[in-house]
Amino acid sequence: MGLSNALARYAVNHAHVLLVEAPGHWLTRAAAEQQLLARGWLFASSPADADVLALCGTPGPEIAAIAARLWEQLPGPRARVQIDAPHLAAAAFESAATKLLDVTLQRDDSQGRSATPNGERHRDNESEGHDGGHDHGGHGTHVGKGEMDGGHAEHSAMDHGGSSGHGESGDHGGMGHGMDMGHADMGHGATSHGGMDMAPAGIPMTHGGEDRDGLELDVLHLRLGPVLPYWPTGLVLRCSLQGDLIVHAEVTLVDAQHARHHAGVRCAHHRAARRCDNAAGLLALSGWEDAAGRARRLRDWLLSDGDRGTTARDLDRLHRRIKRSWLLRWSLRGVGYLSAADVARLDLPGHLRGDTHDRLLSMIQRAADDIAGSADASSDASEHVPIVKIGDVVQGLDIATARLVVASLDLDPQPAASAVAHA
Amino acid sequence: MPDSTVTTVSAGWALAAAAILGLLVAFAAVLDGLFSARTAGAGPSGMTRPLGETARLVRQRRRTTVAADTLLWRIGSSGLLFMALMIVTVVPLGQWTLFDLDVGVVWFNAMDVLAWAFVWLTGWGANSTHSLIGGYRFLAHGLAYELPLMFALVAPAVAASSLNVGTVAAAQADLWFVVWMPVAFLVFCTGVVAIAVWGPFTPALGSDIAGGVTTELSGVDRLVFQGGRYALLAAGAAFAVPMFLGGGNGPLLPGWAWVLVKTSALLAVLVWLRRRLPAVRPDLFMEVGWVVLLPAVLVQDLLVAVVAVWRT
Repeated sequence: MGLSNALARYAVNHAHVLLVEAPGHWLTRAAAEQQLLARGWLFASSPADADVLALCGTPGPEIAAIAARLWEQLPGPRARVQIDAPHLAAAAFESAATKLLDVTLQRDDSQGRSATPNGERHRDNESEGHDGGHDHGGHGTHVGKGEMDGGHAEHSAMDHGGSSGHGESGDHGGMGHGMDMGHADMGHGATSHGGMDMAPAGIPMTHGGEDRDGLELDVLHLRLGPVLPYWPTGLVLRCSLQGDLIVHAEVTLVDAQHARHHAGVRCAHHRAARRCDNAAGLLALSGWEDAAGRARRLRDWLLSDGDRGTTARDLDRLHRRIKRSWLLRWSLRGVGYLSAADVARLDLPGHLRGDTHDRLLSMIQRAADDIAGSADASSDASEHVPIVKIGDVVQGLDIATARLVVASLDLDPQPAASAVAHA
Repeated sequence: MPDSTVTTVSAGWALAAAAILGLLVAFAAVLDGLFSARTAGAGPSGMTRPLGETARLVRQRRRTTVAADTLLWRIGSSGLLFMALMIVTVVPLGQWTLFDLDVGVVWFNAMDVLAWAFVWLTGWGANSTHSLIGGYRFLAHGLAYELPLMFALVAPAVAASSLNVGTVAAAQADLWFVVWMPVAFLVFCTGVVAIAVWGPFTPALGSDIAGGVTTELSGVDRLVFQGGRYALLAAGAAFAVPMFLGGGNGPLLPGWAWVLVKTSALLAVLVWLRRRLPAVRPDLFMEVGWVVLLPAVLVQDLLVAVVAVWRT
């Protein structure tokens, strides 16, 4: 018993946390990141890797449903916490640690779950598509498909192919069942229905489509977001892939109707912090953890109203370091290049001109301007990236570059819900 | 032509070899923990991270996915550790070796090619788009690093006129191969970093695809996969010692100690490199592999061959 206790304590001291950010609560997420790193915990990149599911902020119905499904995918021992406000993060993680150490609690939890990827475990997987889920229970029913698919947004694999396969017949039914996003898949229904006939383990096969060269190639449907590391909160990109090339992408926002603007970017320091947060995400996506960590620390200093002089100096140091890295420049050069004409055509803010490397540097530069107070008090409204255009920007890119480009758009928290509403 | 001076020890010593590899893995993991804790800038030192991570994954439940190709998935995730163990069997520790194979260099090559299968199968087995994309990214890297790596191994073998690892090490009594074949050494190190899916070669495990190949791994499967990556890094560093860094040659210390010192030093550099370098996108690296690395290492081989002919 002594050994397993010691093991458990060691394990809990190094837990991995999957953060789910409710739209509009990025400050809570930032505080949570800071607190979990201070505990020596790490970010989980996927539910399979996570011990703790932390929901940052007050979720709308869609995010709440997604969090519930992600929760089913944690292997266990597992703990779920909700962090309502930035200052509650430390206490929330403390309670998560206690839950992870509670053997009785964990045993009861694991006994309530089945070990095979059937029933609830089904949702652990890519192919939960054919699991009706708790709500509908119909294995392979069309309604079920739409349902699960929406919930499994961040992870989906073949099932998306599947769900769209049933789009025509099933998703209308799915709509009636409310809050998930299954119905949204209708968009793809027309291109790929009827896969039901050859369905190993209930997962319909993918369907072909003409690729760029006019050759037939399988089309795979993948949903990027809303829960994915370093992904803009609340954004969902419904992609049709050929290979890993995005041939078509559609943008939606989760909980768009419930968007509140209470966590907008209020003061210059917070604006600078947001720039650093975005830069950290982009650096992490480009595989440079070290620089990403530095940007994240700068963000935390800015949010805690640290010393202005030091922060500005460190920001400058980061700027120079990024500029010096020839490997980074080589890797980001030319990625997602937007000419002046593109920027005008897509109605994007002017600072997004150039390639991803330019945009990364401009992000840091704008943060520095904000700190120095030299930023022209640009109204947020005019700076907003119209997020419906993201689909156009990423079309034709592969997943890796698309992720870099989306991160480089330097989105503000809580993208204007109206932009989608009127689109 | 220098003769191999290694003696083959009995198979029971394989356990000792595995233990040494384990220690090197622990060393690399602790070092990486320290470095990443410094990046985070707060919290504990990171010293205990490997131990804690192990405890965490041992305690974690194993999960599967629907219609997963379980057999291939498990083969893939445990394969990296197997490769590393097979590689160290031909690395002489001073004058001892487990397996004094005539074609030890080819043996290493045969093992490193397995990474293609193992990493890809790990990506394939889970039946998940993210991990499958990760698997394909590794193959794209593989297409670019594998041939240069093979030709990098040719250089020391040509210089020593032998494919026996002990003989190659003995041929460096006067001058380490790294001194006059630096390009081959650098390309070899690149290859080692690549088969360990480490540093610049991590897009296969990228956070942009939710962990790529490792997206669906949990519990002991993840532990074995991640441990295997460290083990490959360690085994690759150990193999570089007889190939380029003079084997057990060195003053004062006995041969086995020099092998360990050199291995640890190279391993530390490889672990540290990860902090300094961003990831290399597979499509970009493809160009580098074929347009820069391959010609460079071929020229290196040519020079080495000319020197070898001239010396005889």
